[in-house]
Amino acid sequence: MLEIRDLHVAVDGKEILKGLSLNIHAGQVHAIMGPNGSGKSTLSYVLAGRAGYDITEGSILYNGEDLGALAPEERAAKGVFLAMQYPVEIPGVTTMTFLKTALNAQRRHRGEADIDAVGVLKLVRAKAKTLNVSEEMLKRALNVGFSGGEKKRLEILQMALFEPKLAILDETDSGLDIDALRLVAEGVNALRDPSRAMLVITHYQRLLDYIVPDRIHVLAKGRIVAEGGKELALELEAKGYEHIVGQAA
Amino acid sequence: MTAALATRPLETRKAEAASVWQSHGVPHRRIEEWKYSDLKAALGEKGIGAVFAEWQVQSLPAGVEMFDLSLLNPPANVPEWVKAHFAANTGNVMGAASLALSAGGIAFRVPKDAAISVPLKLDFTGPGHVRGLLVLEEGASLTLVEGVGSTSFRNVGLEIVLNPRASLEHVRISPQAGDSVLVEEAFVRVAAGASYRGHFASFGSKLSRMELQIALEGEGAQAHLSGVSVLDDRAHSDVTSHVIHRHGNTNSTQLFKHVVGGRGQAVYQGKVTVAKGANGSDSSQTAKALLLGEAAEADLKPELEIFADDVKCAHGAAVGDLDAESLFYMRARGIPEAEARGLLLQAFLEDAVAEIAATDQRELVRTELLTALKGIA
Repeated sequence: MLEIRDLHVAVDGKEILKGLSLNIHAGQVHAIMGPNGSGKSTLSYVLAGRAGYDITEGSILYNGEDLGALAPEERAAKGVFLAMQYPVEIPGVTTMTFLKTALNAQRRHRGEADIDAVGVLKLVRAKAKTLNVSEEMLKRALNVGFSGGEKKRLEILQMALFEPKLAILDETDSGLDIDALRLVAEGVNALRDPSRAMLVITHYQRLLDYIVPDRIHVLAKGRIVAEGGKELALELEAKGYEHIVGQAA
Repeated sequence: MTAALATRPLETRKAEAASVWQSHGVPHRRIEEWKYSDLKAALGEKGIGAVFAEWQVQSLPAGVEMFDLSLLNPPANVPEWVKAHFAANTGNVMGAASLALSAGGIAFRVPKDAAISVPLKLDFTGPGHVRGLLVLEEGASLTLVEGVGSTSFRNVGLEIVLNPRASLEHVRISPQAGDSVLVEEAFVRVAAGASYRGHFASFGSKLSRMELQIALEGEGAQAHLSGVSVLDDRAHSDVTSHVIHRHGNTNSTQLFKHVVGGRGQAVYQGKVTVAKGANGSDSSQTAKALLLGEAAEADLKPELEIFADDVKCAHGAAVGDLDAESLFYMRARGIPEAEARGLLLQAFLEDAVAEIAATDQRELVRTELLTALKGIA
């Protein structure tokens, strides 16, 4: 589903990703682990299409299509979803209005009919309950005054609502206590599906206790330096990044 | 305390106005308060003229008294409340011009403790000068919806007197008015426990200026001003306010938001004066503008003048562009760029729109903004 070949990405003229290759098939969950500054967030932004993240070499193929050529909204409509590390607060737009606008924008792009307000509310309510997202949160301005946990829960709610084909979770565990982490992980696990691929980006092994990946890639200085099964996370936790990154160098 | 009566005879007040007008003439950019709105240049050779503009009452709610000010000349059956309050303010140049050069206008009064639930709808139309007077007696309440028609040049002088515990919501919507030159001065006196809420939505014109002079004259008097503007092409819109806290424990807030594209120009000049002895006064001023193009301009100038103790005054102004993070977040969730920009612009204006208490008017402003933003975004 996702095929990244020798990807080089520069931000403000500075090369951050330096030849990254990665393949993810439908139904798989892959994890990217790496220390601060390794390029984890750059990878997530370049996949979602953020301006200022320039592909200087290599390619990203998504279901055989050049992902780099698409606008962020086209990627979303085609099933790419990025759960952000820092969901943005937008005063003046209620959460419910935002969800409805985004869902219908994606549907319209795919040539599907709009769902009316009542229909969207029903869909959202069904997903909101299991993620402990209250009616009151849906009425508030998007992410404004939400706690860290509430913001992350709302990200997962959106993932459940938009039913993406490729979900990228960028540091979804950051700022969460153990109960919130468990709730978010359960939400993610419920969305594991043979037709869906997930890329979980994290600094710590903790999240991977709950979302168990099929494959782990270690990112350092813009390259994948180690790969392995889920046990690699435990090794990283025990020995630290220095050990693995040092070996690879 | 009832709003103090104008003690000089009406003819004296009109003569004063004429002399103020004659000694100053048409304001231009070298006069500080008119720096960003050069009226003389906008008018060109045509000048200010001496035509009489018109008024139209779209809806007069039951219980509101009305008096045609053209009957002042010659005086015929002039009610006491008109004699007492008409032309009380003569110091402001354009206000003086509207007095000196108009032949009349319209006056309204809401009797003591009358709560009028239907809005009073008043339009000013045509070119020239015209006056308005609105008196709310003790404990009365009203919503005034003011319409602004396009024309070559119009100057409106409006006086509002709020007696103790009276409450007025004033909503003024100024549609895109092309080459119109529109100037209005509102003089508002707010007595103890009374409240003035003014909302100004503007889509601009060649020159469009709303000047507010508000005096908080008694304990607990309040003034809450808000405004939004969406300005494109060469549209100009100016709100110049002066709120004077004459009495202690008075409260004023101001919130103005502008979206400016093309070669549009938004002006906010807000001065708050806390007079000697007006201790315990509370005021805040916020003005923000989003500039969508290189040639768009916003001149935001909040100003404070404090002569009292123990007052709480805050003011701030900010000019910027749409937040790139927010735009990316929306697009990453599938909302196309133009739609995302529109939503964010609407969101930026929303807190100022939410200040309008009258539901119909608030929705009307929202709709007008949406249409204007579609053109600009």
